[in-house]
Amino acid sequence: MFLSTIQLVTALGATVLALYVLDLVRRRRLSEDFSLLWLVSSAVIAILGFSTGLLRGVTHVLGILYETSTVFAFGLGFTVIGLLYLSIRLSRLSQENVLLARELALLRQSCEASGVGVAAAGAPAGARGPEANRS
Amino acid sequence: MSAATPAGRPRTLVIIPAFNEVESLPVTLDELREVSPAHDVLVVDDGSRDGTAALARARGVTVVSHPFNLGVGGALQTGFRYALEHGYDIGVQFDADGQHDPRFLDDVVGPVAEGRCDVAIGSRFVNRSSYRAPLTRRMGMLLFQGVVRLALGQRIADTTSGFRAYGRAVMVVGQHDFPRDFPDAPLLIMLARRGFRLLEVPVGMRERARGRSFYTLGKSLYYPYKNLLASLMAWLQRPAGS
Repeated sequence: MFLSTIQLVTALGATVLALYVLDLVRRRRLSEDFSLLWLVSSAVIAILGFSTGLLRGVTHVLGILYETSTVFAFGLGFTVIGLLYLSIRLSRLSQENVLLARELALLRQSCEASGVGVAAAGAPAGARGPEANRS
Repeated sequence: MSAATPAGRPRTLVIIPAFNEVESLPVTLDELREVSPAHDVLVVDDGSRDGTAALARARGVTVVSHPFNLGVGGALQTGFRYALEHGYDIGVQFDADGQHDPRFLDDVVGPVAEGRCDVAIGSRFVNRSSYRAPLTRRMGMLLFQGVVRLALGQRIADTTSGFRAYGRAVMVVGQHDFPRDFPDAPLLIMLARRGFRLLEVPVGMRERARGRSFYTLGKSLYYPYKNLLASLMAWLQRPAGS
């Protein structure tokens, strides 16, 4: 099986990326939810890179002229899917942020109505009044 | 719902995560009150939109409501946090859908209260019960039985049981470090790797009384991937904070 330099670089790069993603999940820097697309995309690109026959076959089926363009096409496709997924998650986080802000405002009002003092928003943590500086 | 605890006995809180369970929760709460009046109950309303929280409050049960859905693991973490802040020694995870039989509550709490284990798992499969899971779920259960056995060298027949008692030390860890959506095999592996003792206890379970199952088609496809990866990571991971 003959692999060109660019195939080898692509396949090894994708393999290293997959291992790095797994390590990020192990170290809790990346959740399993977000890891799926990274692992699938790097696995597909690594497989295409290591298998000349498969790469040529897919290139021919898709009507692409150059095999490197096939790898770019898959990479671009996964990037678009990843961006769309992030957009969906970001939209949900934004909605949840609004809900939390509303809940906080209502809780603050409830505390104030009960006579419980609540620090104003924006006050630095641990801030003390002038009386605290007197010995 | 609160009852005096005999002196010297560990205080136990039954934690019921509930998401849109207005059909089945009333029956579950009534049964708990009738069969196990000694245990305090907390309903964690996980962003329900069908009046679940109001229904539980109307029955005199303490309710904590999330502003949006966090998943069963997120709801349990809230329950753990509540239990720790209010001085409970044991937290019992109990389903709102009527699958869990409260007559087995003491069987599940007992081993933790006696110090024989840190997590007691109410198991459908240690002894025969009337419960029959669908075929795909049984296959998934067999898969994760094997995963847990491989990771821990310990056989746990029912890795997906949601009927569990957790000791205080486990809740201290679990309030910060707990899977949000599928607290099954990866959770058991993570707890065992931290040195917590797991024990299976035979219980009987029933079919879901009412309402919709958590396991939709999408979740059934995503579940094996998520749990296999999470199980591997739980086996490899350093504990959080180390």
